[in-house]
Amino acid sequence: MMFSRRKGDGANWRKSAAYQIAFAYSAAFALGVALLGVMIFAAVHLAFIRELDASITGEATELLTEYRSDGPGELRDAIAQREAIPSRSRLLYAVFTPSGRRIVGSLQAPRPGLGLQDIIFRDRQEGPDPARGYAVDLPNGDRLLVAADREAVERADNTVISIFGLGFGAVALLGIVGALMLGSYLRRRLAAISVGANAIIAGDITRRMAVSGKDDEFDRLAGTLNTMLEQIERLLENLRQVSSDIAHDLRTPLAQLRNRLESELIAAELNSQDRPVLVDATRRVDEILSLFAAILRISEIESGQIRKRFEPVDLSSLATEIAESYAPALREGGRELDWSIEPELWLPGDRELIAQAIINLLENAQMHTPPGVPIHLNLSGARTDITVEVIDSGPGVRAEDRQRITRRFVRLDQSRSKSGHGLGLNLVEAIARLHGAKLVFADNHPGLVARLKFKRSAIKSTDSGARDGG
Amino acid sequence: MQILLAEDDRETAEFVEHGLGELGHTVLRAENGHDALHLATTEELDVIILDRMLPGLDGLAVLRRLRMAQIDAPVLLLTALGQIEDRVEGLEAGADDYLVKPFAFSELAARINALSRRRPLAPVTTELVVGSLRIDLLRRVVKRDDRVITLQPREFRLLEELMRNRERVVTRTMLLERVWGFHFDPQTNIVETHISRMRSKLNEGNKPDLIETVRGVGYRMADDV
Repeated sequence: MMFSRRKGDGANWRKSAAYQIAFAYSAAFALGVALLGVMIFAAVHLAFIRELDASITGEATELLTEYRSDGPGELRDAIAQREAIPSRSRLLYAVFTPSGRRIVGSLQAPRPGLGLQDIIFRDRQEGPDPARGYAVDLPNGDRLLVAADREAVERADNTVISIFGLGFGAVALLGIVGALMLGSYLRRRLAAISVGANAIIAGDITRRMAVSGKDDEFDRLAGTLNTMLEQIERLLENLRQVSSDIAHDLRTPLAQLRNRLESELIAAELNSQDRPVLVDATRRVDEILSLFAAILRISEIESGQIRKRFEPVDLSSLATEIAESYAPALREGGRELDWSIEPELWLPGDRELIAQAIINLLENAQMHTPPGVPIHLNLSGARTDITVEVIDSGPGVRAEDRQRITRRFVRLDQSRSKSGHGLGLNLVEAIARLHGAKLVFADNHPGLVARLKFKRSAIKSTDSGARDGG
Repeated sequence: MQILLAEDDRETAEFVEHGLGELGHTVLRAENGHDALHLATTEELDVIILDRMLPGLDGLAVLRRLRMAQIDAPVLLLTALGQIEDRVEGLEAGADDYLVKPFAFSELAARINALSRRRPLAPVTTELVVGSLRIDLLRRVVKRDDRVITLQPREFRLLEELMRNRERVVTRTMLLERVWGFHFDPQTNIVETHISRMRSKLNEGNKPDLIETVRGVGYRMADDV
């Protein structure tokens, strides 16, 4: 039912499983990319640091070897020589006395501790600059520091970060676009099923789910649903057939019985004692026959065949005609009928069936209200629908019974003392469904409002659907 | 009248034949479509009663062939189904009237009477007269002696229908069909209320009643004497 709510369909992602799944999937993918980025960043960073460390420790060892073999003078020359070579990746050197004074090299930094470490030195151009340093003590107690600018590492780090930043952005963007597309695709496929289901709920039992022909899960689901619908339709058809068969088969013997009674009635003397019995028996047979006629009529209406005979019906003049014809009859029963009918309201439909629906509602109001209760017939049109209302201020119907009263043979009058076969409102509902309309009962405080709501658009589509169907 | 009754259900056919015989009509019977077609094309008939479902050739097919052969005797179609579809189809095929089985014999008799009058086609009438009552169909004026009676449109239609069938019984269902266009039977007797209102308008000033109520059947318009 989620997809039947058309309003805010696109906006309300939180209520869409399709979007949630699509977004969760692309979020997981983006997270994976981010995690990969972090790992590569760490690996690259560590590799660079290790390389720096290797080159500075190697250099320091080499200089220490030179010092051991050739003395402090040679070390000073070697450092000066190395510092003189212009190179971006050159190393930085310094020799500190135990007091902390720098006596050799251009590396401006305080005297460091021993071993590998991160240091800050003062670059002539850039000011304080981080570097990787390695310090060893010379045999004379001075301390040699070899350092490498971390600029290269930072550059590598930045490159990795920007590559993965861009990558992550692209993946996230693709993910969002993909999620939207996937979400809307899933929703579209599901909506196709939902549209079909709603058409069936609206009364078109012959409707089937659209199958795209891709033979995917959705097609298989649609196929399963269609098989199920066929089964249901067959069962419904059987049910309809059985009830109309029973009604139909019983009509012939009843008709013969009626003929027999009528012949007897014609033959009977006017003052014969048998006459009242015969009249009563005929009346009872007629009642049964009218019940069967109602069952057959409902089953004809429910089959939907009449839709192909739909023609524009002038609802306004039909309602006026009915009101004018019924007002005197209702007045005889002690009830005033008044009406307010908007002019020029047209509907495609079956004029007689709509008339019968309105008449049944009027008769229902009359049957279930005490004399003296006024009855109103309203016909009004809005942009999307046309409403027929029969309103009384009688005893009304309890809320829990309002759903029930349209069912076959349901009569709220437990004693069944009133006439009627309990099919009147069922017939109205069948007529309403045929016209894509809804029959609703509401409280009139006091009394009952019986409302037939015809959708202007629904009728068009039902109409065209019926024409397509043959 | 000579009437063809094409009906395969023997019991119904006997019942109808007996009743029509009592009324002084001659009934020819056919039990299948081919016989019906043969009799209809060879005999001079005033009315044809045709069951919709006949063995051999079904009622609708017989009817279509008759109309194709320019046989325009009025046809009353009988059906056991009573479906809206059937009625429309029957009328489209050229039936003049339609009756759902089972029916009261009086209903059938009234309809046959009404049908037989239709042939030959009456010249266009603009005025109908029953006794001192006359209605002008063009100007839609109703007069009794010289007094003008104001009727509502539906009452006028009702009166017109009764006057067109003067001296004949018009049943309640015939009036519902012809005046209201309803082919179903509402529980409320709107025909009765309309007749009684119209009656009091027509009989104002203690005039004799022109509309006879035929109990359990319908109404009959007759001259006041």
